[in-house]
Amino acid sequence: MKRAVFGWLAIVLLAVPAAAWAQGDSGGVVELESRVFELGRQLRCPTCTSESVGDSSSAISIEMRNEIRDQIALGKSDDEILAFFQERYGDWVLLEPPREGIHLFVWILPVVGVVAGAAGLALLMTRWLAKARAPLDDVNDEDLARVQAAMKSGPDA
Amino acid sequence: MIRRLVIVASVTAALGGLFLFGLLRGSPDRDIESARLNRPVPAFELPLYERYHASFGPTLDVGSYLGEVPMIVNFWASWCGPCYEEAPDLQAAWEDFGGQVLFVGVQTQDRGRQQEGRDFIDQFNLGFANVIDDDSSLSIEYGLFGVPETFFIRADGTLAYKHAGPVTYELLEEQVLALTGGTP
Repeated sequence: MKRAVFGWLAIVLLAVPAAAWAQGDSGGVVELESRVFELGRQLRCPTCTSESVGDSSSAISIEMRNEIRDQIALGKSDDEILAFFQERYGDWVLLEPPREGIHLFVWILPVVGVVAGAAGLALLMTRWLAKARAPLDDVNDEDLARVQAAMKSGPDA
Repeated sequence: MIRRLVIVASVTAALGGLFLFGLLRGSPDRDIESARLNRPVPAFELPLYERYHASFGPTLDVGSYLGEVPMIVNFWASWCGPCYEEAPDLQAAWEDFGGQVLFVGVQTQDRGRQQEGRDFIDQFNLGFANVIDDDSSLSIEYGLFGVPETFFIRADGTLAYKHAGPVTYELLEEQVLALTGGTP
């Protein structure tokens, strides 16, 4: 009986830290894979159409994810890993274009578009309002008298 | 009124044209200029298929040729249809120009398919050295977009030209002449 109790106690004492270690380890794997996926999402799959390295199951994307994993293991930062691929594939590989040089157009153009659109709309509205508020100068006295009479007599007249 | 109609019609036509362009342009053009153009290409040492061991040993160390002789590095895979199309032309060009330019074939993006690689080489009786890039790390190092792709490297070790898609004998001849400074 005593032996059995000690046996169970030993199992529990060993199992708890082992479970905690396993949990901690899988947490690390999840964290690593999330980072690999996040970096992969920022890179364009070279052999696919409109798919990122993170989303694609093509052979080259799988190898590129392996490369990202290896570089993380080497302690490289996200910027260093992205620069690694950029150096080999050019700016094309980055799904988010760099904010410099000719790529600035991609970032500036939408803002310019929105500002120009808003300015155009404001100009049009100002014109419409000015037109609506302008006094009617081509109304003859007869029409004016009819309108005034109608307004005085009300809708039932 | 007519002016307004013209503006609306122009904007609609422009947007419609853009939509149709996106819809009909098909697969994107992969013939993108290499980021390594006119820059030194990386050296590599990879295992060779058995039939080349007698000439080179078990591995090919490209570093010992880079900067010494012009090179043509062709990337292929056993599952790639256009690679089968271009293989006879590569073999014919190697037979004619192999003395002037080092030809290297690299099986890539083809992990674990060495038997298929052997079958590919045997099918065309490829005489030039073919290495195995099993983990595709060389493919990433060279910034490969797909297979086949062929890199034409000057004698000083810099990249002269990269061709995406199958090569022809004529293209290989033209590039060999450009690399060696020869005349047709």
